[in-house]
Amino acid sequence: MRLTPFTLVEPESLTEALAAVARLDGEARLVGGGTALIPMIRLGLVKPDRLVSLHRVPSLAGIRLDGGALELGALATHADVERSWVVREGWPLVAEATRRVATPAIRTSGTIGGNLAYAEAASDPSPALMCHDAEVRVVGPRGSRAVPIVRFFRGFYEAALEPGEIVTSVRVPPAPAGARGGYVKYTSRSAEDKPLIGVAALVALDAAGRCAHVRLALGGAAPTPIRIERAEAALMGEALTDAAASAAADLAARDAEPLSDLMGSADYRREMIRVWVRRLLIGLRDGAR
Amino acid sequence: MKLALTLNGRPCTTEAPDHWTVLDLLRDGLSLMGTKYGCGEGVCGTCTVLADGRPIRACLVLAAHVSGRSLVTVEGLDADGRLDPLQTAFAERGAAQCGYCTPGMMLAAKALLAENPAPTAHEVREALSGNLCRCTGYTKIIEAVLAAAPGRK
Repeated sequence: MRLTPFTLVEPESLTEALAAVARLDGEARLVGGGTALIPMIRLGLVKPDRLVSLHRVPSLAGIRLDGGALELGALATHADVERSWVVREGWPLVAEATRRVATPAIRTSGTIGGNLAYAEAASDPSPALMCHDAEVRVVGPRGSRAVPIVRFFRGFYEAALEPGEIVTSVRVPPAPAGARGGYVKYTSRSAEDKPLIGVAALVALDAAGRCAHVRLALGGAAPTPIRIERAEAALMGEALTDAAASAAADLAARDAEPLSDLMGSADYRREMIRVWVRRLLIGLRDGAR
Repeated sequence: MKLALTLNGRPCTTEAPDHWTVLDLLRDGLSLMGTKYGCGEGVCGTCTVLADGRPIRACLVLAAHVSGRSLVTVEGLDADGRLDPLQTAFAERGAAQCGYCTPGMMLAAKALLAENPAPTAHEVREALSGNLCRCTGYTKIIEAVLAAAPGRK
């Protein structure tokens, strides 16, 4: 079955890309790897008459270190991220979560910039990036800006992007010294599905075993990826006992706003959040010993 | 739109409409029917081909995006009239029943074995996790890939 016809524009620089995007009106779309957009066109959910592909824009590619932070170019594919030794050694939580995106052949095409711009609610990388206090870098007709990832998701599949704006990279600060991260992807149908819920956590314990730094974020638990700040605050300064992990998991389940869909009901999601937040926290504590 | 790429080891210059995917280009532009259309959404894996040695979904990738790259389809697996060890193993072990998933399975496996010549059964399962088979129950497919793995002999 053929896609509904569209014209393809292939800018070769960011300047050209911005000019192409500025001229867009009606049903026009930006495309990175196409793993999100092409199925939407195929299913008739969108009918763009023009596509601007970013694949020839060199400055959007690549994975770099910048002043101690990790800079993932918007066109870095999930496979690029999971395979990068810079990411695996310095940002293992990001590598671990990215390795769980869909299947190998999707990860070779799908890009981190596309995943963010699409505002996938059940994104695997987004909760991990939230744990690292990442910033999404954006350029548009009024210049460039950096949006903290917790403010980048406006609503269900809606990113905080203005007309004419392009995601250029995501900047990921390093974890605090001694922090340990983990990602759990729980699927209710098959292993390569989107997560029913995904849980990412980054925890640093002090010498006495008390939480000195905590980040907890969820995918598939609300209309957007979310950080659970109430649970983080409850854990700070506390020993990571089983009871403390359970209390944090209860807060996470309460603060989540899960939706019901074919993968599972909202109630089931809430229960799985309770189960997996607790298990992940206890696992991080025991692994950190 | 004009396209220049390497296809199964040979230079290929062709043309395609802007909205064609790699799968449209292969089947309808170049009459290479080995790559199958399954779900059209990137889920089933039967359209898997290799781009620069890595598996992609031909139904999801725009033809424009493989310009300048090297594609391998099932038609490029055999060389000099000799089947690829994966093809032989699939045939000998009954890893193909209806056969519709087989080209995608073999190419996903080809990418794995090029990187990891001695995979474990678990690694084979992971590499094939995006390729659905509704006939075999997967056991014979996994056995065939393990049998074709050069580092396990």
